Amino acid sequence: MKRLLIGLLGLAIFFLNLLPAHGASYYEGKTITLIVGYPPGGGYDRYARLYAKHLPKHIPGNPTIVVQNMPGGGSIIAANHLYAVAKPDGLTFGTFNNALVLAQLTKIEGVRFDLTKFSWLGSLASDAAVLTVRSDLPYKTVEDLRKVKEAVIFGATSVADTTYTVPFFLKEFAGFNFKMVTGYAGSAPIMLAVERKEVDGRAGSYASLKPFIDRGLVRPLIRSRVSSAEIKSLPIDEDLATTPKGKALMAIRTAPTLIYRPYVAPPGTSAEALKILREAFAKASQDKELLAETEKGNLPIDYANAEECLKIIREVLNQPPETIQEITKYLKFGD
Amino acid sequence: MFDAFIQGLLVILQWHTLAVMLLGIFLGFWVGLLPGLGGSTTLALMLPFIYKMSPVEAFAFLLGMHSVVATTGDITSVLFGIPGEGTTAATVLDGHAMAKKGEAGRALGAVLMSSLMGALIGAFALAISIPIVRPLVLMFGSPELFMVAILGITSISSLSGQEGRSLLRGLIAGLLGLLFATVGEDPQAAMQRFTFGQLYLWSGLDLVPVLVGLFAIPEIVDLARRGKAIAGDVPVGHISGVMEGVKDTFRHFWLTIRCSLIGTWIGILPGLGGAVAQWMAYAHAVQSAKDATDRDRFGKGDVRGVIGPGAANNSKEGGDLIPTIAFGVPGSSSMAILLAAFFMVGLVPGPDMLNKHLVLTFSMVWTLILANIITVAVSLAVLNHLAKLTRVRGSVLIPLILFLAFIGSYTANNNPADLVTFLFFGFLGYLMIQCGWPRAPLVLGFVLGRIVESNFYISTSRYGAAWLHRPLVLLLIGLSILVMVYPFLRFRRGEATGKEAIQ
Amino acid sequence: MKARINLNVMMSLAIMAVSAYALYASLQWPFKTALFPRVLSIPLFFLATTEMFLSLGRSQKDVQGQAMDFQMTDDIDPALARRRTFMIFSSILGFLLLILLAGFPLAVPLFVFLYLKLAGEKWLLSSLMAVLCWLFMEGIFDRLLHLPFPQGWLFSLWG
Repeated sequence: MKRLLIGLLGLAIFFLNLLPAHGASYYEGKTITLIVGYPPGGGYDRYARLYAKHLPKHIPGNPTIVVQNMPGGGSIIAANHLYAVAKPDGLTFGTFNNALVLAQLTKIEGVRFDLTKFSWLGSLASDAAVLTVRSDLPYKTVEDLRKVKEAVIFGATSVADTTYTVPFFLKEFAGFNFKMVTGYAGSAPIMLAVERKEVDGRAGSYASLKPFIDRGLVRPLIRSRVSSAEIKSLPIDEDLATTPKGKALMAIRTAPTLIYRPYVAPPGTSAEALKILREAFAKASQDKELLAETEKGNLPIDYANAEECLKIIREVLNQPPETIQEITKYLKFGD
Repeated sequence: MFDAFIQGLLVILQWHTLAVMLLGIFLGFWVGLLPGLGGSTTLALMLPFIYKMSPVEAFAFLLGMHSVVATTGDITSVLFGIPGEGTTAATVLDGHAMAKKGEAGRALGAVLMSSLMGALIGAFALAISIPIVRPLVLMFGSPELFMVAILGITSISSLSGQEGRSLLRGLIAGLLGLLFATVGEDPQAAMQRFTFGQLYLWSGLDLVPVLVGLFAIPEIVDLARRGKAIAGDVPVGHISGVMEGVKDTFRHFWLTIRCSLIGTWIGILPGLGGAVAQWMAYAHAVQSAKDATDRDRFGKGDVRGVIGPGAANNSKEGGDLIPTIAFGVPGSSSMAILLAAFFMVGLVPGPDMLNKHLVLTFSMVWTLILANIITVAVSLAVLNHLAKLTRVRGSVLIPLILFLAFIGSYTANNNPADLVTFLFFGFLGYLMIQCGWPRAPLVLGFVLGRIVESNFYISTSRYGAAWLHRPLVLLLIGLSILVMVYPFLRFRRGEATGKEAIQ
Repeated sequence: MKARINLNVMMSLAIMAVSAYALYASLQWPFKTALFPRVLSIPLFFLATTEMFLSLGRSQKDVQGQAMDFQMTDDIDPALARRRTFMIFSSILGFLLLILLAGFPLAVPLFVFLYLKLAGEKWLLSSLMAVLCWLFMEGIFDRLLHLPFPQGWLFSLWG
């Protein structure tokens, strides 16, 4: 009897060891590559490096994560690479421009991916867009903006950028008397132009405008549907639109900002690896150490999981052809 | 304010701050030396390490690293003819030419000393301008920036050569450079210009593979042709020493000062980019030549062609910091990364930096000064040995130089297509040398192209034609005309004196 | 002498072609996009034409050294110079090919070794340099900086 029990125990141990490798050994000793579609130092890169530092402890096996920059084509090059070249073995994933959904929608030449087919991991943050004007101007509310005698001048980098599209849409679809001046090398030179009184204001990402708002240089007046605590009370641009077409276009422009820092793995990545990675992202986004560093570094975190991301992508891509034509007219894709 | 100045020094002389600064200097030393490890990329890679540091330590580290890159980058330019950094390409022209004449030590001495002086003047400018920096930068709007870029372009006339024929070719090169700058997506209508359906070209041609190709490949080809060492036939024992170069910097003291000031000024003007300062300083050095035969020496190994850009690309560092600290507007791409560092340590660049955090700002000034003094001191010690590399057989050096050039071009964007760009411009550079076409105007046009176009559109879009009347714009127009015709005035004066001499 | 003049002529013709193309391409763009390229390509075309005609004219002496730039070393037998120039350009292209086929980390030591051997250096020196380069590639660019080096085409065919 005793020998039988020992035999059975031995057999059990033997069979237990034959069980397929589960999470703990999948990533053991491996190196994961995180591809960033932008050069080092920018927003996408900083988020990536931060997560590269904190994700490993939430992945069983504690693999090393290495960041590789693959800039070019407004991150289309990186997206193409993740779609077709990178192996779907769970050892590569990456991040790229959230506006790529618009590039895919308007069939930009060079796009060789389908966002719906990626193995989504989630998005680290959402981004609110605001329209701001210089504080010393007499415009304190939206009504003031409507009654201006001279056009309010907004500085922008290029017609493909939010610095342009936010005031542009408000001008086209809400009847504001705005004028856009494009050609600035980046958002920071625009702020200098604001100080210089060369332009009256700037629109764009709330996160990047926040320091200037806090400093008192500019005053936010209108926001996009995606919001942030401090600007909740501002009127929403979509509500100010006078036509349904305007509303729809603004909504489409705003939609990608819900998944502002998207992370995907190549299509066909194994379900097991995906599960591990998704959980790791979710846990890392609540990791106290990570949050302490993001606080300090002015990198807001607002994690959206894979299902939410895919839902938004599908909504944006699911447009009738006439709408797509309109979108192509108004929304350009750029670096 | 004076005590903040002193405090700034005391604060970086503390043990742990000094330690991280030395670490930064050590890193920066190698980053500048090796083409392919760009100063801005490395800055970005170092960012995650500053989370645990205090603001003073963080900037001592980052600035210690970055301010050294321009100094050691010059060393590679001189010794091997490969621009170690985008900002050190101008030193290749005369610096490497001197190396070929057996004067590597002298060139290195000159470049180091001028770098140090440039850095000191840049730091000094940063320090004294702190009270006036805000109104100073605010004076320069887009119309003024456009005119400064035009001023840069007119200096092409000085960078071309002697006779009218050279000027013609210089203009062709300049226009070609400007045209190359239009490749990519245009900001006015988001149209793709000259991209031939290639994603790679959407953001335009990258400066690094263009520069490395344009300068390194012709030098490599020449080295192969000669079949000898870089220093060629110069007999042993005649490799002039480093101290000679150091003395040269003081012999041309005022030139060094003027070029440092040019570098600082270009740095202060936001958005002109890192590569411009060295070329305008070089153009100025050329203009300072006494007569036609004196000017002829440039491009063929004149120490002044080394001192000018050497000083400017360091003084620019101090100048770059000014708009970055005072307004949060980066003076160059590396400054953009430094901005991220500000946010990471919880600071907001702007008026606060000049009031509440004045001590920190001054500590940055002192970091610039100290880091460069240390680097130059260390380099001077090893330089005579480095100079000996120019005696090594060409066939041994060539594969190494090629390796560095290839890797340098690749790591700019981690894109193999950059290698194609590198080869294309390499071949173009070779052809230009063979035909007697100057390369400097091409580079100048290339780096200024976007700035000229964008600022022109901003100015006209915003002000209509009224911007032409602005006082500073008028001043700059006058200056540009002066710069443009200066060589002709010189030429005619030279002719006149020549005639007198004959009579 | 004549060879150099012809090179000048050819370069000018090439620039004329480039500027003509630029002008042609700009015709299809909206005004703002096209303005700058047009402002550049029109004078460029005329200047290049001028240069071309001037180069066709009376034979010029040494055109080379006139630019404020260095001058290719002259004091070698031209046949030798041509051969060496050809060799170096072939080596450079060969290096590129090697990188594309075998990937950077392998191509670099391979190239260094081959070049040194073919230039007549001793086995020891060639191997040593190759190993040093390989260490450099692996140590700094791969291990330390984790730069992405795409696989050479040969390897993608294999696996």
